[in-house]
Amino acid sequence: MTEFVRACALAEVPEQGTFGVELNGVPLVIVRSEGEVYALAEFCTHEEVSLVDGEVYDHTLECWLHGSCFDLRSGKPTGPPASRPLATYQVRVDDGDVYVAL
Amino acid sequence: MSSLSRAVETAGPVSKLHAKESFDPDDFAVPTGREEEWRFTPLRRLRGLHSDAGFDGKVEVEVSAEREITVVLAQHGDPRLGTALVPSDRVSARAFASFSEATILTIPDGIAASRPAVVSVRGHDADRAAAGHVLVEAGANSSAVVVLDYSGTATYADNVEFVVGEGASLKVVSFQEWDSDAVHLSHQHAVVGKDASFSHTAVSLGGSVVRMVPSVRYSGSGGNAELRGVYFADAGQHLEHRLLVDHGQPDCRSRVTYKGALQGNDAHMVWIGDVIIRVEATGTDSYESNRNLVLTDGTRVDSVPNLEILTGEVVRAGHASTSGRLEDQHLFYLMARGIPVDAARRLVIRGFFAELIAEIQPRELADRIMTAIEAELENLGKTP
Repeated sequence: MTEFVRACALAEVPEQGTFGVELNGVPLVIVRSEGEVYALAEFCTHEEVSLVDGEVYDHTLECWLHGSCFDLRSGKPTGPPASRPLATYQVRVDDGDVYVAL
Repeated sequence: MSSLSRAVETAGPVSKLHAKESFDPDDFAVPTGREEEWRFTPLRRLRGLHSDAGFDGKVEVEVSAEREITVVLAQHGDPRLGTALVPSDRVSARAFASFSEATILTIPDGIAASRPAVVSVRGHDADRAAAGHVLVEAGANSSAVVVLDYSGTATYADNVEFVVGEGASLKVVSFQEWDSDAVHLSHQHAVVGKDASFSHTAVSLGGSVVRMVPSVRYSGSGGNAELRGVYFADAGQHLEHRLLVDHGQPDCRSRVTYKGALQGNDAHMVWIGDVIIRVEATGTDSYESNRNLVLTDGTRVDSVPNLEILTGEVVRAGHASTSGRLEDQHLFYLMARGIPVDAARRLVIRGFFAELIAEIQPRELADRIMTAIEAELENLGKTP
């Protein structure tokens, strides 16, 4: 039922980093960390800050501006000031391309 | 000795609020969202109003007023325009540079308008941005009520100027009853003359993003400004009111009272209340307050009052801000008298707004606003 949409080439996302895309009007941040690929809502739930410029470490995406931390796997906030989770999306990597289920 | 005292005067504190004004959009950089004045606004929902959207759209502007009020359409470059208002952000400057026709309402000296004048702005197309301009000149010792009635859908940036002459009384209601996909950024500025009184009520109920900047400056002593606001933010709605009262004349008074309620996921309300009391503004009497009722989880309120006082010789200068849930005790009082919880909640919320809505003229408009709020409250009953 969920339809996977091509987001980007896997090569566009740094090994341990982020890549911003907009799919069907939804701004997303694609994250690669420790061999896994994740897709989350692009904007921090604290303020309108793009997490494409965030830091990736230890299953965490950290907002560069105020330091809100989110778990890459669940989108749940793991460090303040954010208190609400980021939306997360299912990801499939196929033949070097990243597909996201919206 | 004299040179020393002058040195003290000029080295005095300089206002940091509202530092920049210009008619040239290029004087304002495209906001990135990191600026103090833009950090709460969802820029990506503004459809380019803040950056480079071309103003090739149109809204319908209609004026209904009695004959004693002169209504004219003025072209860009009319010398009366821009005498009161100088844009203080990029959107306002872009709107000023781009509107094609301005509406000017003039209330002659000494005339008491017999009926409220209504400027209705109706949008039909949100895909193309539109810009507008309205000037209201209230002559000396005149009195009038002016309603700005925004409806339909649009991507709209406008500037509204009020020039309140000596001893005049001007009451304005700006009613944002947009459809749910409208984006509206409005700068509404008043210059209040000697012993004049100005009241402005912003009622923001509709729209996807509404960002209003009501501001007041005084051009003589004894002026009185009452700025009120009523708003109701639903899921996904961003309602922002940024006020500035600039006291630069002695013995003037200002009151700011904004009240609103929020319900639903990502309902976002921003209130910035800036008051400057300059060195010359001795005898100033100023107070501002913002009250927010948070009705459900998932909403967000940013309420920031700022007060800059550059003279100690004031009557009063204060501010207050509260954001909270309905009081259990109020609900308990009503429920203990057999009123069901939903009805009790609605009653308390109605009471919360009644104080401000009671002040609104004309009565029919107040009734319309109350009905619109009642409709919002109907939704509340449905989402537990």
